[in-house]
Amino acid sequence: MTSTSPTPPASPIATHTAARAAWDKLRKRIGWEPESEMLGEPQLFLLLAVIIGLISGLAVVLFRIAIDWTRLSVFGSDLTPPPTRTLLVPTVGGLIVAFLVIKFFPRARGSGVNQTKAALYIYDGFIPFNTVIGKFVCCALAIGTGQSLGPEDPSLQMGAGIASALGRRLRLSREKVRLIAPVGAAAGLAAAFNAPISAVLFVIEEVIGKWTAGVLGAVVLAAVSSVVVVRWFLGEQPLFRIPEYHLVHPAELLAYAALGVIGGISSLILVKLIGYARPRLKALPRWSQYFQPAVAGLLIGVIGLGLPQVMGAGYDFIDQAMHDEFTWRMLALLAAFKILSTSFSFVSGTPGGMFAPALFIGAMIGGAVGSIEHHFFPWLTGQVGTYALVGMGTLFAGFLRVPMTSVFMVLEVSGNYSIILPVMISNTIAYLISRHYQPTALFDLLSRQDGTDLPSMEERREEVSVHVENAMRAYQGTVLNIEEPLSTALARADASAEDFVFVEDGTGKWRGIKKEELRRQAAQMPEGATLRSLLPEEALPHLHPDHVLEEALRRLGDLPLLPVVNRADFRKLEGVVTLAGILEAYREVGPRRFKGTRPQPA
Amino acid sequence: MELDRRCAKCGQAIPWGEPECPLCSERLGYFWLQRRDTFLILVFVLIILLFVITGYAVRRYHAVERGLAQDWYSRGEQALMAGHAKAALADFRNALAYSRDNPLFQLRLAQALVATERVPEARTYLLNLRERDPGNGPVNLELARLAVRERATPEAVQYFHDAVYSDWDGNPAVRRRTVRLELVDFLLHSDQEAAARAELIAVASNLPPDAKLQTQVGALLMKAGGYDDALRLFRQALAAEPRSAPALVGAGECYFQTGQYTQAQRYLNRALQQDPNLTQAAAMRDTARAVLDLDPFIPRLGEQERGQRAREAFDQAMTRLEACAAQRGIDLQSAHDDPLHTLYAQATTFQPSMRQRSLSRDSELLSNTMDLVFEIEKAASQACGEPQGLDLALVLIARQQEGGRP
Repeated sequence: MTSTSPTPPASPIATHTAARAAWDKLRKRIGWEPESEMLGEPQLFLLLAVIIGLISGLAVVLFRIAIDWTRLSVFGSDLTPPPTRTLLVPTVGGLIVAFLVIKFFPRARGSGVNQTKAALYIYDGFIPFNTVIGKFVCCALAIGTGQSLGPEDPSLQMGAGIASALGRRLRLSREKVRLIAPVGAAAGLAAAFNAPISAVLFVIEEVIGKWTAGVLGAVVLAAVSSVVVVRWFLGEQPLFRIPEYHLVHPAELLAYAALGVIGGISSLILVKLIGYARPRLKALPRWSQYFQPAVAGLLIGVIGLGLPQVMGAGYDFIDQAMHDEFTWRMLALLAAFKILSTSFSFVSGTPGGMFAPALFIGAMIGGAVGSIEHHFFPWLTGQVGTYALVGMGTLFAGFLRVPMTSVFMVLEVSGNYSIILPVMISNTIAYLISRHYQPTALFDLLSRQDGTDLPSMEERREEVSVHVENAMRAYQGTVLNIEEPLSTALARADASAEDFVFVEDGTGKWRGIKKEELRRQAAQMPEGATLRSLLPEEALPHLHPDHVLEEALRRLGDLPLLPVVNRADFRKLEGVVTLAGILEAYREVGPRRFKGTRPQPA
Repeated sequence: MELDRRCAKCGQAIPWGEPECPLCSERLGYFWLQRRDTFLILVFVLIILLFVITGYAVRRYHAVERGLAQDWYSRGEQALMAGHAKAALADFRNALAYSRDNPLFQLRLAQALVATERVPEARTYLLNLRERDPGNGPVNLELARLAVRERATPEAVQYFHDAVYSDWDGNPAVRRRTVRLELVDFLLHSDQEAAARAELIAVASNLPPDAKLQTQVGALLMKAGGYDDALRLFRQALAAEPRSAPALVGAGECYFQTGQYTQAQRYLNRALQQDPNLTQAAAMRDTARAVLDLDPFIPRLGEQERGQRAREAFDQAMTRLEACAAQRGIDLQSAHDDPLHTLYAQATTFQPSMRQRSLSRDSELLSNTMDLVFEIEKAASQACGEPQGLDLALVLIARQQEGGRP
């Protein structure tokens, strides 16, 4: 009798192995070698940038529709919803969002810019994919239910999250995974803004902090692809209908300067409000965090009863301000209450972006300033809408502290280069005022409040570079000629005050040798030999006085000193750099390097 | 941050919140998903899928937006027609929130803004629309109307002209003519008869054979002083509708204004036959008849008749002079400084020589008598206002004799 024992169930590992073997067999039969390197990592990185752009663009389109659909569902289609909804919707929305954030998506809190920077500088480019989902759901709910926040920064973080997930799944090198997050960030922001140049600049200016050729191409590709997708689905039109601009009179620039002052002060108020209230609310008991967004929503609802324009991102109303549809009093009121409502929303921990509120406040302030000036000096003032447009850039410069992006954003959105003069004047003044009275920029302030010390791009820009000229000293020794007979060279080297003598070959290439070494080697050389026969072919690395000191350290290696030569005449020795000199220079200049008020770690 | 957790495979720190190293983990997918090229293919499939989903969502959303925009627009139109401009304004704003670049909605919003006296906002909207489409007829017309409201005549004329030469939906010829007639109306109100006449001549040259239209344009031409062109239009209208009372009145008035009283009387009579209630036409006809009855200079009149008419004219003038003096409280016997007294004194001195026979025989006397009559009527008109009836007839005869049109 043969007993038939039941076949034991296959273990998951065995199934896995069997499937893999079958797959490999099939692959070989059809001659497909997917593991072969069809694409090198640099090419894959660029292809991935396009893919990230496409997916981010699609995500942002869906995100915008989700926000609008939420708004339509909860408020109805009337721009001025009934009072009960105005009060209830943001409150209930706040409760739901708080619950989702605390229970399921804790990393969806905040605007998204710092989280992306943290991914780059702390987590090796790692952003969990559920952050993307959390950001999408929570921000769509928050903004759709009237919280005074915008969709741009969340789009930036979603793009970064998508990029990070793809980079990891494609097993890019750690360095590339780290760099891919900003690429996604640019794609997300470009799609949200429908403005690729501004997005690229913002990411370079605020997230990466430097122009590197390696990442720039990918950032641009991603931004362009995402904008193409957004335009494909949502049309070519910019976020706002842009008014015509022409400078009526040179004196009008004074009006833009006034706008810069008011914009700078307003930025300052908003940053100070956030900086003051956010840590205090965070310090409250954990249970209160479930209710903070709801309370913020209720307060915004109360404001919304009189000024429904402050609820949500408010793009329609920015557009109306640009077309002179509000009186200056109304514009000023809207700016003031938007500052309040944005502070409520942001400090309560509701996820959402700061870009749209900054644009809103800027447009209202610009419109108000333009209207007042138009009233008193009609012959000197152009269209009020232009002031609103410039005001947007002004707040961007003062509040977010990204001066380059702020200028290019206005240029890109307006498509009018001639607006550059007022934009530059106004933005610069706002930026300077904000920086003077609030040395720490908003994103740095937020990161420090969160207990992280992300690199401050503003501080990096302010860093004082230490150059070779700060460390070099005069060369006291003798410069030998490469064709010199060894006997003469030895005699001259002995007379040299330096222990290390330089040899110049007449073409600007420098060699060097210690006196002892020269003496030792010369003894073994035949009579009549020249220095050339003794010295190595390879020339010494050299420096120029304007090289940064880091470069000197890199080139110095084990050498006792390096020649510093003139850029126009390599045969002219300007001085020498030694390790001791470099360290001395760092010691001297070091304390002056950081102009910001970087806090000491607790 | 749990930085001390390190991956056993690659030795790198495992990020906070992750159960295992994200770079080395295989938990997310099957073995073939680990392969780069396979994964890329999957990503492309995912992109296509996302495109389809997004396309569907966008189409649905746009359909909802279009529906909402149309609903709010219809509500705005109804509110605007009912005269509720404020409600219409809110409705059009809502409509524009869902169809931001719709030029029709923007135009209606601008109209609602004008109706609620928010002219600067309306102008901004209209200027934006014009910037986008300089050849948009309705936009140019609205801008012209705004300029008219603000009495900016050159701008208004410019916008009207732009509107005339712009694109119009529907029946462009009719819309252009309507715009031109609105411009004419504006010009007439701004006392720019010559410019109005030029516009009307342009309108007249493109008029279809429509009696009503010809009569309407003819009436405007008459207002602008273009009697000859007006008359031509009235006659064209009468050729199509011989019993059209307005055309008959118009033609009669043209003849009247050009001093052709016989023709005027004929046309006005025909008009009154069609509609006896035309009081102004009747008064004009009576004046024409009076001119014809009183004028001693009409050719082919007998000498006696001529003298008699001069005598009647003189008597009428004296009556007017006395009535005017009484109206103004002037004693014609004693008020030496008054021009009416001077004329009265002159007439009294002249009166004895004015016998019927002398007037009939002496053409110079007749001429002098009529000159005096004309002077009295003119002076009385200046002192006591526009004359009526026979006095008006005498004034008209005077003007005709002076060589000008009445």
